[in-house]
Amino acid sequence: MDYISLVILGCAVVTFIPRLIPALFIDKLNFSPKFEKFLNLIPYTALAALICPGVLTVDSQLWYIGLIGAVVAAGLAWKKVPMGAIVILTVVVLITVYSIVPMI
Amino acid sequence: MGDITISRKDKFIYGAKKGIPITFGYVPMGIGYAAIAIKAGFTPLQTISMSFLVYAGAGQIIAASMALSGATVIAIVLTNFVVNLRYFVMSTCVLNKVEESNTPLNILAAHVTVDESFAMFSLSEDSSIWIYLGIAITAWLSWCFGAAIGVFLLDMLPVIVTNSFNISLYALFVAILTPAVKENKQIAILVLITAVLNIVLSQFLGNWSLIVSTLVGAGIGMYLVDDEYVLSGDA
Repeated sequence: MDYISLVILGCAVVTFIPRLIPALFIDKLNFSPKFEKFLNLIPYTALAALICPGVLTVDSQLWYIGLIGAVVAAGLAWKKVPMGAIVILTVVVLITVYSIVPMI
Repeated sequence: MGDITISRKDKFIYGAKKGIPITFGYVPMGIGYAAIAIKAGFTPLQTISMSFLVYAGAGQIIAASMALSGATVIAIVLTNFVVNLRYFVMSTCVLNKVEESNTPLNILAAHVTVDESFAMFSLSEDSSIWIYLGIAITAWLSWCFGAAIGVFLLDMLPVIVTNSFNISLYALFVAILTPAVKENKQIAILVLITAVLNIVLSQFLGNWSLIVSTLVGAGIGMYLVDDEYVLSGDA
């Protein structure tokens, strides 16, 4: 098998196994209320960690581009704008910002 | 959508519609991945297969970039393992929440669990596996579709356009998180603590920091957040 096929196969295996393990055992497990609470908190902390600091690297040179995008998205979400519209409007705002920023 | 009179098909379609905002980010990101993969010597079929089989946004882009720079198979696979280990946590959360499920459906749901499908489903009122599969399979197919477009898109999109689309997944994350932060001061503080923690840890732990921050953050949340805010619904 060639190099790239091995890369794809290897990545597929090591990515699938961590996903699969809970699927095989979740029905047999009975989590305590404490652990349920821990699991229920994970979406919030995972999102926080996914956003920060990654959002600042949206543009590899201008860190504030991502910050502007995040602030715009948060403002729109605060005003209960639908999710699809938030994504589109944020992209549009950034394209506008880029056309104003003189460099690049 | 807890009503049992609603058919599986309707739930799936309801989920698929909910998943549409994810596709706004996945199609352009999939194109970006494909551009790197083609440059690294992947055939069109290999490029699209990886999106189908591996299905890991950042993981695939990192793998293709490493292949481009001639890294060994072992190094690429190990890096992918670390980068994608967070799916273990996300898959556990999703599968712990879903109802109307069985093992084959759980396995399918596990494969299509990524940051976006996990986040959207976990912070919604919905609990049917069919709704989850609607969201997640829509996202998965759009990711593969993006790769397919990218393969046939010979010229790279202008930098300004690709950079602007880079924000789309973050905009989605922020959109999912904001209502919870707005509603609950304790969650807001926890989000802030975790964000700062991850900014600091990412300086030292690299690819491990995301999963460490997520778990440590949730551990802090055990003491910070009152039970009633996070123990609603599922038992």
